[in-house]
Amino acid sequence: MKPVLSIINWALSWVSGIISSAIQLLYSIINYILSRPDDYIPFLWPIINFLNHVPIINIIVHLIFWRPIFDLLFVPGLVSVLIALIFIIWFERKLTAKVQWRIGPLEVSRPIGGFLQPFADLFRYMFQEFVVPLQADKNYFIHGPAIVFILSTLPIFFIPIGPKQFTLPNGTTIEGIYGIYTGYDVLIAIALITLFNIGIILIGWASNDRFTYIGTVREALLYTGYEAILILSVVAILLIYGTADPFKIVNWQVTHLPGIIANPLAFLAFLIATLMATSRFPFEIPEADTEIVLGPYTEYSGIVYGLVMTMSYEKLYVLSLLMVLLFLDGWAGPYIPYFGALSPAIWFGIKTYIVMMIMVFTRSVYGRYRPDQALKMSWSSLLGLVIAALVLSLIIDLLIIKPL
Amino acid sequence: MGMGSNERYAELPVRMEVPEEFVKNFVPIPKEYVEEAYRSEEYLVFIGPQHPGSGHMRIILRLKGDYIVDAIPDPGYVHRGVEKLAETRLYIHILPLIERPTIQDSANFDLGYSRAVEKLADLDVPKRAQYIRVILAELSRIATHLYDTGILAVFIGHSTGYMWAFGLRDVINEAFIRITGTRTTLSYTVPGGVRWDVKPDVLNFVNELTNYLERKMKDMESIFVKNPVTIHRLKEVGVLTKEEAIKYGLVGPFLRASGVEYDVRKVEPYEAYSEFEWDIPVADEGDSYSRFLVRVEEIRQSIKIIRQAVKNIPDTPILSEKILSRIPPKDRPQAAKDIRTFLTKTHVGLTPGAGEATTLTEAQEDSCYLH
Repeated sequence: MKPVLSIINWALSWVSGIISSAIQLLYSIINYILSRPDDYIPFLWPIINFLNHVPIINIIVHLIFWRPIFDLLFVPGLVSVLIALIFIIWFERKLTAKVQWRIGPLEVSRPIGGFLQPFADLFRYMFQEFVVPLQADKNYFIHGPAIVFILSTLPIFFIPIGPKQFTLPNGTTIEGIYGIYTGYDVLIAIALITLFNIGIILIGWASNDRFTYIGTVREALLYTGYEAILILSVVAILLIYGTADPFKIVNWQVTHLPGIIANPLAFLAFLIATLMATSRFPFEIPEADTEIVLGPYTEYSGIVYGLVMTMSYEKLYVLSLLMVLLFLDGWAGPYIPYFGALSPAIWFGIKTYIVMMIMVFTRSVYGRYRPDQALKMSWSSLLGLVIAALVLSLIIDLLIIKPL
Repeated sequence: MGMGSNERYAELPVRMEVPEEFVKNFVPIPKEYVEEAYRSEEYLVFIGPQHPGSGHMRIILRLKGDYIVDAIPDPGYVHRGVEKLAETRLYIHILPLIERPTIQDSANFDLGYSRAVEKLADLDVPKRAQYIRVILAELSRIATHLYDTGILAVFIGHSTGYMWAFGLRDVINEAFIRITGTRTTLSYTVPGGVRWDVKPDVLNFVNELTNYLERKMKDMESIFVKNPVTIHRLKEVGVLTKEEAIKYGLVGPFLRASGVEYDVRKVEPYEAYSEFEWDIPVADEGDSYSRFLVRVEEIRQSIKIIRQAVKNIPDTPILSEKILSRIPPKDRPQAAKDIRTFLTKTHVGLTPGAGEATTLTEAQEDSCYLH
C-alpha cells in the first residue's frame, strides 16, 4: 500500500507544482498588464498613449509590449523577418529590372513603385489550390516546407540585434533586444543554418519528380561545397574574438577593429559561402530555372510554394545578420533619440539591408556556373582561401592579441 | 560466395534483335551500328525531337550505364520543303517563302535568292540598291548575332545578357520598320533592286543606330562577354580543330572560329562588298567561347560596313534598267523611287528562261547556298 500512496503523493505534488507555477505565470502576466510597459521607444509613445484609453485594446497593447512576446512578434521576430523578405524580394526584382532596361513590379501600389507586389503575390498564393501530386509522399511533402521554414527562422532568435544592457543618455539602463542568450549563440545559429539543407533535400525527395530529383542532387552537391567554407570562415573569425558570445564579439569589434579589417579573407570566404548557401547567382544551381524548372520546389503550388520560394531569402536574411554581427561591427552606431531602445536595432537593420542588397545584385551581373565547376571551385580555391583565413587568424591571435 | 566471377552473370538465351521501329521508320544511323550497340550491352536512347534552344533536333545517345559513349545529332526537323513549294510559284512569290528558314536573317536569304534570279534573267542592279541591300544584310547579321547572344545568355543563366541583347535587337527591328515596313521577314529585296527608296532621315537614323550599338556593345562586353562566369562556362567546350572544321564542311563564324580565314564577302565579293574596308574576324581556339567572340567581333565589323555604306550611298535609281523598261515611260520616274504599285507589271511577268544559277551568300549562321 505504501509505495502506491507514495507514488500518488508524488504525482499530486508534481501536479500542484505545475498548477502553482502556472498560476504564478498568470499572475505575473496580469501584474505586467496592469502596470505600464517600460519600453523606451519614443516614436511609439503617441500611439501607445492613445491606445491606453481604449478599454480592451490597452490590455492587448500591454501584452504585445511584454518583452518575450515583443521579441517573438516584432524585433527580431516575425514582423521584421516579413518586412525584410518583402523588401528584398521587391528590391531584387526592381533592381534587376532597372539594370535590364525594364520597369519591374509597378501595377500594385504605383505611387511607391510597386512595393506591395510581394503582398499581392502572397494573397494570390493564399487563394490558389495546394495540389499534392499523386506520386509524392504526402506527409513529407506537406510537412517538409514547415520544418525547413522553422529551421530557417529559428537562428534569428539566437542573433541579438542590440547590446545586452543599454544605457540611455539620460542615465536609465534598459534591457537590449535579443531573443535567446546562451553564450554560444553564433555556433547555434550556424548549426541551425547548416541543418536547413537536409530539409530541402527532404522536400525534393518527397516530391518524387524528375526535376526535383535532379534539383535535390544538385542541392546536396552544393551543400557539400559550401558547408565547410561557411563553418571554417566563422571559426576563423571566432578565433580572433576568442568567444562565440555575440555581445562580447561586438564589444571586441567596437574596442579594437571591425572583423572585416581584422580578417578580410574570412569575410570574403563567408561572403562567397553565403552566395552559395542561399543559391544566389553565380551559384543559382539547384533552382536553375532554364534547366530544371525550379529544382526541389517544382511540385509546390499555393501558399506552400510561397513558403518554399521565400525560404532562400530568409536564409539570406539570417546569414546577412550573421555577417553584420561577425564582420561589420554589429549594432554599433551613434544613438538615435527618436528610436530610443530600438536605435541599435536600426543600425543593425541598415547594415543588414545593405549587405542583402549587394547579395541580390549578383543576379543582374553573373551567369550560372556548372555544378561541377562550382564544386571544383569550392574545394580548391575557396578551401585554400578559408585555410589562409584560418592561418591569418592564428597569426593575429598568437602574435598580436595574446601578447597584449 | 564460392563462385567464380564469371558465374555470377548467367548468359540469358535472349535474342538481341533490332526493334521493328528501326526498320519501319527512318533512323539516320546504320543498322549495323544498332546491332553492335545491342551486342555490347549498351543502350541507344533517342532524345527528342525537341527544341533545346537552337532549332528542333534529335540526339541519339549511346549509353554504357551512366556514361555517354557516343552522341549522334539528328537535325533537319526544320526542313520546310521550300524547294517543292517553290516549284509551282512565280519568281516574285518565292521571296516570302525563301526567308522562312531563318526569320531574323531574312535579308541575307532574300539577297541570295534575288542574286540567283538576277543571274538567270541577266539583270544589273544599280549601285544605290546594292548599298541598301548591304545595309540591310549587315543590320540583319547584327540582329541575328544579338539574338544568338541572348539565347546563349539564357542557357548560362545570365538574364541581363538576354535582356540587353534582345533590347538591342529591337532597335535594329525599329530600323527595319523604318526602311522596309516590317520587323522581320522583310521581303524587301526583289530581283533587280529593292522595293522602294530609303529616305535620308532613315539613313540618318541608321547611322545614329550604329553609334548607339557601338556604345551599348561596350557595356555588353563588360557585363556579359568578358564576364568570368561566361568565360568559365564556354572556354574549352566543344572544341573543333581546323582540320575537323574543314572536314565536316563548317561555314560562317563557326569555320572562322576554328582558324580558317574564309568569308564569302571577301572571297567572292557580291553586291558592293568589295568597296568597303573591313576585316574578317578569326579565332584559333575553335571552342564555344571563340565562336562567340568571333560573332561579337563580326557585329563590330558590320557596324563598320554600315557606316561606310550610309556615308557613301550613291544617288541612282533603285531598280535595274531592264525592270524599269517594262513600265510605261510616264510612270518611270515614280517607279524608280517606289515599285510597289508596279509589281504586277515588273515582276509578275518576270520569267527568265530555263537555266541554272548558283549564288553564295554569307548569311549569319551559314553560307546561304542557292541553286
